[in-house]
Amino acid sequence: MSFLSGWTIAIAAGLTVPPLVALYFLKLKRGIVPVSSTFLWKRAVQDLHVNAPFQRLRSNLLLFLQLLVLLLAAFVLGKPVRQAIQKHEDTLILLIDQSASMAVVEEDGRSRLEIAIDEAKRIVNRMDDKARAMVIAFCDRATVVSSFDTDRAALERKLESIEQTESLSRLSEAIALAEAYSQNLIIAGAEAGADIAPTSAAPPATALIFSDGRIHDLGTLNIQRLDTSNMQLVNVAERSDNVGITSMSARRSYEQPDVLNVFAEVRNFGPESASFDAHLYVDDQHRDVQIVRLDPGSTEADPASETTGAALQPHEPDVPLPGSVASVAFDPFDYGGSGVVEVRLEHRDALEADNRAWAVIDPPRHVKVLLVSEGNLFLERVLPTLPLQIEVMTPDEYESTDQEMLADGDRSKYDLVIFDRHSTDRLYQGGYFFWGAVPLIDGVVMGDPIDDEIIFNWDDSHPVLRHVPVANIEVYQWNRLELPSEAETLIEGESSPVLSYFTRGGSQYLICAFGLLAEDEVGQPMMNTFWVFKPHFPMFMYNAVAFLSSSLSANARMTTRPGDPVALARPPTADTLTIRRPRGGRDVLVPGKVSTAHYARTRRVGVYTVEPAAPGQETFAVNLFSSAESNVRPSSVLTVGTSTLEATKGSQLINEPLWPHLLIAALVILLIEWVIYNKRIFV
Amino acid sequence: MTAEGRQHGNGLLDPEFMNRLDQLEIVSRKIFRGKMRGERRSKRRGESVEFADHRNYVPGDDLRFLDWNILARLDRLFLKLFLEEEDLHISLLIDVSKSMDWGEPGKSLYVRRVAAALAHIGLSNFDRVSLYGFADGLTCQLAGVRGRRRVSKVMEFLSALECDGGSNLAEACKQFAIRHPQPGIVMILSDFFDKGGFEQGFRYLLGRNFDLYAMQVLSPEELEPELAGDLQLRDVEDDDLAEVTISRALLNRYKRNLEAYCASIKEYCTRRGINYLFTSTDTPFDQIILSYLRRRGLLR
Repeated sequence: MSFLSGWTIAIAAGLTVPPLVALYFLKLKRGIVPVSSTFLWKRAVQDLHVNAPFQRLRSNLLLFLQLLVLLLAAFVLGKPVRQAIQKHEDTLILLIDQSASMAVVEEDGRSRLEIAIDEAKRIVNRMDDKARAMVIAFCDRATVVSSFDTDRAALERKLESIEQTESLSRLSEAIALAEAYSQNLIIAGAEAGADIAPTSAAPPATALIFSDGRIHDLGTLNIQRLDTSNMQLVNVAERSDNVGITSMSARRSYEQPDVLNVFAEVRNFGPESASFDAHLYVDDQHRDVQIVRLDPGSTEADPASETTGAALQPHEPDVPLPGSVASVAFDPFDYGGSGVVEVRLEHRDALEADNRAWAVIDPPRHVKVLLVSEGNLFLERVLPTLPLQIEVMTPDEYESTDQEMLADGDRSKYDLVIFDRHSTDRLYQGGYFFWGAVPLIDGVVMGDPIDDEIIFNWDDSHPVLRHVPVANIEVYQWNRLELPSEAETLIEGESSPVLSYFTRGGSQYLICAFGLLAEDEVGQPMMNTFWVFKPHFPMFMYNAVAFLSSSLSANARMTTRPGDPVALARPPTADTLTIRRPRGGRDVLVPGKVSTAHYARTRRVGVYTVEPAAPGQETFAVNLFSSAESNVRPSSVLTVGTSTLEATKGSQLINEPLWPHLLIAALVILLIEWVIYNKRIFV
Repeated sequence: MTAEGRQHGNGLLDPEFMNRLDQLEIVSRKIFRGKMRGERRSKRRGESVEFADHRNYVPGDDLRFLDWNILARLDRLFLKLFLEEEDLHISLLIDVSKSMDWGEPGKSLYVRRVAAALAHIGLSNFDRVSLYGFADGLTCQLAGVRGRRRVSKVMEFLSALECDGGSNLAEACKQFAIRHPQPGIVMILSDFFDKGGFEQGFRYLLGRNFDLYAMQVLSPEELEPELAGDLQLRDVEDDDLAEVTISRALLNRYKRNLEAYCASIKEYCTRRGINYLFTSTDTPFDQIILSYLRRRGLLR
């Protein structure tokens, strides 16, 4: 309870209470009544005269009642109000965030999602009888939990059915759904059948967003029909202490495939420094522990996230990720089998989902490389220095070899095929490195030779060019390349790319516009570049082979983000696929005759197992790996479109006047006082 | 009783009631030596016609009471003893302070009627009856009245009593004790609202070996006061003022005090052999005389 005019109380009480008390101190004008003797009366009143006047004040109920009436009247003048939930009389759209950060358990023991649901239920309870509401739960996808309904009990039941996910938080789909439903509502309104424009007289819907404000796509949100002035953000979050694993890598050593290296990136988003142990488990067996010390994350509010939401974009290059970061490198260890590697942080914080990360490891195998060349002394000398299984074919042999020799189904049997000045369209899924040639696929054309041009730009941050001083490379001539737009140029000449990389159809292509050898004017082979004599040429080949083959064999499988679908190949003998979820429960997929099924119920982090599974798909891991979700600091301001939403704590509160209640109480007390005065029941 | 006597009830007693009183007599629990021979049989050997006992003759005895028959047969001197018949001295101390002029009906009228009845009984039995009015001392008296013919005088005396002055029981008892050394029945009729206390007055009388009766008479207005509001209570005797705010709690406290005060008088009397009688003026007067006092042993 608060007072809009607090000073009035003091003034009114000061003016009325002292005179009332003074009146009680004044000598009463008493009526004289003769009695036979005052002998016993004096004894009776003897106690009352002890310690007067305080004794009188102590026991004078009438005085207290009158004081109470006066004080209540003074309170009425002070315009008392209390914070009450606004009673909604219109159309409500309740948008409930169910993303990973909403799993944070706040100080009162409830998770943010539970708080959001409770707040939403309170608002639903306060709805006017004619008001209607719809409920949309959103994370990376939006779900209509309840369409527009006036049944408060049904809405409450629907609200309670919203489940926690560990997905990212995206609002755009929820907004689109809300707009669609509210538009339907206007068209199918009271004047059904009439021509009702979108700017109908129907009351605009009020959208209440129950979230901690950690929403990814606010910067790209496109709101067309909803009135942003009718949107409210109900913040349900307070805690900000969280440490999370934002990335994890488990890869086999290139030189020693049996050796496994595990790295993890850990960030502290909380205001306090943190020190804890990071444990490494392999197939649930403890393997290693590292001590992690992290400085406090940003203690101030993140201005970017509060104004535009752009900082929540996980891959925004210009905005640094929040929090202090530490890289955890576990000691390499021998591991020859396949299994699951888990990194676990022994740290109690707000969010549990990002304290564990998993990676599924395939068994080691040596990289198989096929060199297709008419004969290249330099490549034939360099490649055997690398830990590879090398086979060599001439272009004619390659073109005439049976498919079964080159591929296993659609997939190449070789991790990498190096073509030396031989362009071909005989390509399967795999890695390809073209020297002075191109894959004969759409969008890739090798043009005329180019002379007398220089290399003027390159990307030395790319793994292929690591430790390679490109400035020292001299090339006699190379061919003009026309490449698809998604191609990434690693070395660029004046008018044409020299070295490019792109992926297509599950294959990777590294295309070098020149060959190590060229033909002179009479058709004799000649040196096209002296690069081969430079010490960094073997380094380049090492990088290229490792880069093109590593993602295929030596690394852990690609991790899946919560909510992302996973493509599962159907084993030839299986009609159904059973997926066991990490926290119990199973799903059965019936792919039918389709060779690949997609499983999308990956909203919880952990290791999922598939039975029966295609080779290499027995398990897959789902990890949060999101700085935006791990940064659980509540955002107090959101910019939605052109409007700025300031978060309200809990439900939208209004000042509800209390003076009628106080006035009634004062009248009741006055009545009691009158009764007591007349009946003389009490002193 | 003669018609003349009955006509002298003076409004205190009606003739029919006086006839009923004729059947009663006052009984004393103690042996008193009366001044005169009366109709009351005494345990003292005396000169009545009713034989009681013999005793040996000692020189100096009245020879008229010598038992000659025994002397003739046994040749020994025996004296015949006869029962003595004496009168009883009944003293009634009537409170006539201003506080007695209170209540409806008034306490004064009530105690005068009680006194009239007792005096009538006493006179009817040839007892010696003395009446005293007292306030801050003995204010009036009618002492030593005997015989039925004096009933009218007694009634006149009682009718003429007026309430005036404050209460001083101790002074009144002191004066009474000095004037009347003879034993007898003494009954004090009062409300005992004496700010000086009642104990001292009783103490004066206890020394005289009276057969004491104390009758406390209160009015319903004193037992259940019907007062309300902020009042200034004025004592009718001494104009003393008491400022009170009447409330349920205060009334309860007053009643508790009154009960405690009456209980203290009763306890004091019981411990000292004084007969304590309590009555309210709303109790019918004839019931007090014909029933209550008989039960308590004063009347027979």
